[in-house]
Amino acid sequence: MPADPKSDLLPGTLEMLVLRTLTLGPLHGYAIAQHLAQVSDGVLVVEQGSLYPALERLLGSGLVTAKWGTSPTGRRARFYTITASGRKKLGQEIASFDATITAIAKVLGREVPAS
Amino acid sequence: MSWLDGLRHRLDTLLHPGRYSAELDEEMRHHQDLARMHAPDADAARRQFGSATRYREQARDLTWLHLPDVVGQDLRGAWRGITRAPSLTLLVVGTLALGLGANAATFSILDALYLRPPAGVEDPATLRGWWIEHHRTGDGVPFTSAALNYPMYRALREARGPEARLALYVRDDPHLGRGLLGPKVDVVYASAGYFGVLGLRPALGRLYTADEDSLGAPAAVAVVSDAFWRSKLAGNPAVLGTPLQLGPKTFTIIGVLDGPFRGLDLQPADVWLPLAAITPPSWIEGPWWESDNPYYFHALERWNPALSDVAAEAQVTAALRALDQQRSGVRADTLLAAHVSSPLEARGPAKPRAEQQIAVRVGGIAVIVLVIAWANVINLLLAHALGRRREIALRLALGISRARLVRLLTLETLLIAGLAALAALGVAWAGGNALRALLLPEVSWATPALDWRAALFTAGVALASALVAGLIPALQASNPVLTETLKSAGPGSGRRRSRLRSALVMLQAALAVVLLVGAGLFVQSLRNVEGLDIGYDSGQLLFGDVQFEEGSEPPAALRAAQSAEIMARLQGRPGIEVVARTAMPPLYGFSFTTFYSGADSAGSLGVNLPTVAEVTPEFFQATGIRLLAGRTFTPSTSGAPLDEVVVNDATARLLWPGKDPLGQCLQFRARTNPCVPVVGVVETVRRERVLETESKGQFYLPVGSKWAYSAGETIVVRAAVNGTATASAQLLEELRRAFPAGLARVTPMTKNLEREYRPYRLGATLFTAFGLLALVVAVMGIYSTITYDVRQRTHEFGVRVALGAGMGTLVRQVVGEGLRTVSLGVLAGVAAAVAGGKLIAALLYGTAPGNPVVLAAVALVLLLVAALAAALPAWRAARTDPVVALKQD
Repeated sequence: MPADPKSDLLPGTLEMLVLRTLTLGPLHGYAIAQHLAQVSDGVLVVEQGSLYPALERLLGSGLVTAKWGTSPTGRRARFYTITASGRKKLGQEIASFDATITAIAKVLGREVPAS
Repeated sequence: MSWLDGLRHRLDTLLHPGRYSAELDEEMRHHQDLARMHAPDADAARRQFGSATRYREQARDLTWLHLPDVVGQDLRGAWRGITRAPSLTLLVVGTLALGLGANAATFSILDALYLRPPAGVEDPATLRGWWIEHHRTGDGVPFTSAALNYPMYRALREARGPEARLALYVRDDPHLGRGLLGPKVDVVYASAGYFGVLGLRPALGRLYTADEDSLGAPAAVAVVSDAFWRSKLAGNPAVLGTPLQLGPKTFTIIGVLDGPFRGLDLQPADVWLPLAAITPPSWIEGPWWESDNPYYFHALERWNPALSDVAAEAQVTAALRALDQQRSGVRADTLLAAHVSSPLEARGPAKPRAEQQIAVRVGGIAVIVLVIAWANVINLLLAHALGRRREIALRLALGISRARLVRLLTLETLLIAGLAALAALGVAWAGGNALRALLLPEVSWATPALDWRAALFTAGVALASALVAGLIPALQASNPVLTETLKSAGPGSGRRRSRLRSALVMLQAALAVVLLVGAGLFVQSLRNVEGLDIGYDSGQLLFGDVQFEEGSEPPAALRAAQSAEIMARLQGRPGIEVVARTAMPPLYGFSFTTFYSGADSAGSLGVNLPTVAEVTPEFFQATGIRLLAGRTFTPSTSGAPLDEVVVNDATARLLWPGKDPLGQCLQFRARTNPCVPVVGVVETVRRERVLETESKGQFYLPVGSKWAYSAGETIVVRAAVNGTATASAQLLEELRRAFPAGLARVTPMTKNLEREYRPYRLGATLFTAFGLLALVVAVMGIYSTITYDVRQRTHEFGVRVALGAGMGTLVRQVVGEGLRTVSLGVLAGVAAAVAGGKLIAALLYGTAPGNPVVLAAVALVLLLVAALAAALPAWRAARTDPVVALKQD
């Protein structure tokens, strides 16, 4: 476990990952965390609590909306939905992420990963 | 709209902070519960989630929940900032409030006079009034008026054709209820077409029809305004069909108007009655609508924009000239032309009233006062900001962020602006009411002195002025070269910008001079007008008369007898020197009578026709009119007075130029009547106005003469010096005793004259008030600038005092420097006053804009006051202990 769990991710990355996850459909916080952990095979270690500041940031800029509903277990849960501008923003983020990765790969002399 | 989603979320959080926390807690607990179910053990789950407290805080920091704290902190900081220099804050707020309040107050008057169309009128842009241009005045200067008589209206209607939508109306203000003690009501007698022309509809009941407005057989029906219905009739729908008593006449209320309409004039109207129901003057013979004499109607027309104004005017002019020709033969062509224009008095083509002209100029001087206020505020804030450079540099050095600093300074300015806006609203409200009372005291306004538009505008301009005035220095000050400022806050650091501040002081001085010169000119005019010898000893004269309700006047013989008795009873009482009687008080009105002198008919004298005054023999002594030749009337002991006439000098010169008027005679009413001898010549006194450009002919007949019409109902009392109060009380008591059914009143002659002096008094009052305001503001500017400069030079003064400079030298130097700036401003102001003087020249009397005495006096006053304003800080500086001054930095 690293000393500062935030240092694992570049700033803004968590938000991007959350947006990407929400393209699957409305999810509550725990589900988002589970998805992130599974998909990255546990490589991206992040304290799950940090999801909530990230979600607040996304809510405040209108990229996601939240609604209270009932989870499959029958408990009250807040479900997050990506908005149209959330999708647009995600597209921009992925594009700039690709550009950065390509540039880094070039500098490191590695083959450019096909996207 | 994604930013809207975000904003909604943020506002939602801000408005329901409790719910926000509860929901976040619930959500995190849910998460942790689920994690515990799937994780190997509780510890692992806790580790996986991290510190809930910390993330809660992080999330909370992203919301706007901390905003009130930050804003509160900044506000407190800003408040501390402005209260640390309370005198500065007060000066800025006060200056802005006075400048802006003065403007809002004058704006509200000008808005009512010129800008705002009357409330409730449909499409005011196509509503017109007919105006008539005459040249029937004595000196041949044409004048324009909206007054018509009924035959003129008939001619106008025929000329305009059956398609034209016309209406005729006249105002009146009878007493509500019977007798003369009830409150007055503003009524409009209007033809039935009036409502259609103005686009008015009833909210309740109906309006009257053309049938109900037939000449000679009017229906006694009344329509009332919505405001009157609500305030005076308790908003009761059952008032329809109930009577409305207006003096001796009873009307039945048939409708309540819809909407805010209250007539077309500044004075709001409340009741509309059929035009045919007017009470014509009692002396008109035959039906009033055939007579030339009720000459007070106003004609309205709903204009068809497709028609040409010029063609319509030509058509109506021709019709009216033909009418004039037909009716008055000899005096044809006294009417020049008909004009179609706005129906509103101030916007029509008539010469504006003096009050109106003054209101416009007051609008101008209010703007000047505002410019002075702005200059002063910028000056004060600039000086203040420069003075704070050191504090600001220190705070920047201590690590305050530049953004926060600008925010704090902006907030300070905003706070000052808010205070200024509030104070300006107060000044505007009070000033607006004062100005209304001063300029148009006869109007009982339907709208408050400060409506929401003016209030919004005032607050907006106050905010904008304070922001602009405050932000420039704030931006300048927040960007200092740190080390330099910290090193050398003392001597000389503010000197570079003092040129701008000197220019501002100059501007203030110049504008103050302009306003004070205006004040001086008006004061001089007022003194000139009041000093005119009008021929009467007006200070001691009282006039007493009695009003009766229409139709309940006592017979003339009884009135004459009672008046004679009052005269006899008052004679010789303490405080009363002379008692006399006359038909009407001087300068109150005049009457003509037909007379013949030799072969000349009265008509051949044209416009200069002398007027008749019916007086008792004591009248001349009572009023102080001097006898030039012959004698006054022989007092009659009993019965009718002798047949005698007294003429004034102007009449004598007009009728018998170069001859001795004594021994001449006049025939009254008919050439066949006996010739009445002229027994005396008196000096010519003012007949109608205090400022008469030519002497007006007048002759006097004894009250009770068979040629006189009046019973001499006005009692004239010449009170002893210091006896006006007792004389007035006794006169009133006697009038009441003799005529218990009437309404007795006693009017000092000075009151009748006041309306003549009023324009000059108004000009003098308003210009003096604004001029003094400007002077005070300018002096504050001079004082604060010099105080600041001197403070900047404390070090220099200290050195010079230490080197042995005398106090006198230092004071002389500082005052000299200040005066140099001010005198440049005074020179510019004198030049501007002379150049701008033509704007008020027409309102002056006996003086002109270039008057050297006024100019010199104002220049001297300003320099003197400026010298005092400079001397105080200079003296303080010269007294500084050199040790303290040198140690200071």
